[in-house]
Amino acid sequence: MALGIYLGYAIAALAVTQLVRSNKSMNLVTLSHVLACIALAAYSQSIGPAHYFDKNFLIDGLSVYEISITGTIFFFAIIYAGGHAERLIDLGLMDKRNLKPYYLSLNCLLMFTVLSFASNNLALFWIFVELTTFFTAFLIAILNSKKNVDASLKYIFVTSTAMLFSFTGLILLFALSENATGKGTLNWDELLANAATFPPVFLTAAFAFTFIGFAAKSGVAPFHTPLPHAYSKAPSAVSTIVSAVMLNLGMTGILRIYAIIKQTSAATDASNLLIAFGVLSLFIATLSMLHQRNVKKLIAFSSTEHSGLMLIGMAVGTPIAIFWVLYHMLAHALIKAVLFLSTGIIQRQYNSNNAGKIINIFKMQPLAGTGLILGSAAILGMPPFILFLSKFSILTQVAAYSVPLLFVMLLFLLIAAAAFTNLLSEIFSHTENVKMEKYNAPRRMTMPIAILLVLIFILGIYLPNDLYAFLTKVVSDLKF
Amino acid sequence: MISLVLAESLTQALLVLVLITGAFIVTRKDLLSLVSTYQMQSLLLVGIALTLYSVDESPMLLSLAALTLISKVLVIPYIVKRIQKQINIPRDLEFHYISPIASIFITIFLILVVYGAFANILKDLSLSSLFYLGAVFGISLTLMGMLITFSRKKVITKIIGYLTMENGVLLFSLFITELPFIIEVLILVDLFMIVLLATILAIGMDSSIEAFQERFNQLHIEELQEKLHLHRKHGGAN
Repeated sequence: MALGIYLGYAIAALAVTQLVRSNKSMNLVTLSHVLACIALAAYSQSIGPAHYFDKNFLIDGLSVYEISITGTIFFFAIIYAGGHAERLIDLGLMDKRNLKPYYLSLNCLLMFTVLSFASNNLALFWIFVELTTFFTAFLIAILNSKKNVDASLKYIFVTSTAMLFSFTGLILLFALSENATGKGTLNWDELLANAATFPPVFLTAAFAFTFIGFAAKSGVAPFHTPLPHAYSKAPSAVSTIVSAVMLNLGMTGILRIYAIIKQTSAATDASNLLIAFGVLSLFIATLSMLHQRNVKKLIAFSSTEHSGLMLIGMAVGTPIAIFWVLYHMLAHALIKAVLFLSTGIIQRQYNSNNAGKIINIFKMQPLAGTGLILGSAAILGMPPFILFLSKFSILTQVAAYSVPLLFVMLLFLLIAAAAFTNLLSEIFSHTENVKMEKYNAPRRMTMPIAILLVLIFILGIYLPNDLYAFLTKVVSDLKF
Repeated sequence: MISLVLAESLTQALLVLVLITGAFIVTRKDLLSLVSTYQMQSLLLVGIALTLYSVDESPMLLSLAALTLISKVLVIPYIVKRIQKQINIPRDLEFHYISPIASIFITIFLILVVYGAFANILKDLSLSSLFYLGAVFGISLTLMGMLITFSRKKVITKIIGYLTMENGVLLFSLFITELPFIIEVLILVDLFMIVLLATILAIGMDSSIEAFQERFNQLHIEELQEKLHLHRKHGGAN
């Protein structure tokens, strides 16, 4: 019932967005849709796991958690988008006629993301994830530039091609359940319950195929190639959503399938696969970060680095490791929002993301500058920010699993830290006596950064008991 | 109703033909014939579904054949051909990384690898040799499609690669299991949306319209200048 009401509201929000004309009205309608999504998460949390639409949908603890993160990120991104879109139109970077499709796509993206997280049927999960790819690609291409269209096409082809492999994996899973239980199903809870009866080799193949698509969605190497272009070309609100929410969507897909395989003797093979891709992601991302001059691209590669870290945490597979992987998803999403929203303002000030062109940043854009420097410290896992807790704990778990793996990871994390320090020291020490008109970012763009900074600080020094208990329950429901 | 032996031979022949269309797409440059080959490939899939239906008599196979016929033999090729006309590029000469001959060798290599790898994976399903062959050809076709998507530069060719991949997935599902019909419909909806968006964006990327307009404008300006020159001369004479 709750999901049905949300869906009705989302469709109504789409209809009203189509009817209203001003940026402010469309922004408000979209924002109300975000609040409906947060309300759905809150209500679902209060009633516990519930099935909807003939067991095709299931809102369990993991869904609640991911929908809450999605709602939070969208909330800040949409507020920011209101001010940002006006500036993009003023600068001629966005066609005024594209404003409506922009908000309609943001609404659709939110709706399909929520439906993905709420899907119990993995085929439905797959189709909704594909639809998020569609709308993300559209949002990347919304600006008047051929480079955006190019970035969008790369994103579609790499992600959708990889997703077809995922579909092949789902066909294998269906055949597997049909073979083992006599009745084919793709309902995740039923697959989890019957996992022990599945033949391991077959299940490993199904996992490997499914992994490819969801890995592409979460920017895991070598499927990460379109992301740096997409992140750097898309409007910052969109980059925030793609990097924070879409990454979590892919990771959730991997986690759900991994939870199934974890119940069988094939878990070791799956775990090795995750470690291989995790290390590859760390390797490629951190080395690409080293020579990066474009701030947005640096942050984009950092997403691939964190996907690698989360995969390795997942591969360790202990309840504590999974707990911290989940917490890492929240931490990463919040910090990436700070970073992308800050670079959005910097980009509008200097018309570039290139480090060489950013001059007198503290004088011109003090808040965005602070956001960038504190966000960077946070994304590197420095205390007292939120990511310190999860990164440190994942590394502790890896240390107990394999010391050589820990050293390899530490080496790559050190390279990532060097890359950030290198670029930031250049940006922040770059002062020149040049006259430049200051861009006064509206409060709608600065407030989200300030609030998010406070949030990543508070959650870095205080882990609420309720959140701790909730995540512990999510991990045990996943049967880890 | 045809005999089991005949159905098996017919399916095998159709499978081989499907793979040939895949190889054809991997090597061709002519964009219009690429779409026609895709159309032919989809028609062969309809044929396979109908042959399987003649043995199995599952209504699901009949619906799938009808769905494939309408969407992949008629509607999608029509859309792609229309967009192609608008873009106005007859040939895709840009093989991004690998030459057509190398592509063929890679394709053969891929089929052999898939054949070997799936022997171990599919043993639990105890499939008959025909169904095993169908599944292997399905995955091979998917990989061939991927090869096209990543080895070509033009968006339209990439789209044909993506469509071929999806045909491979359909072939694989036909021989592995009977998926619920709604899932087959959903994957088609996805295919439509992705193809439509990619083709619309392709107009922006591949289009020779801009180049054409540039040339046209240049020509026009030259004509104007010529006229102006004549006019001045004429005026000067007055």
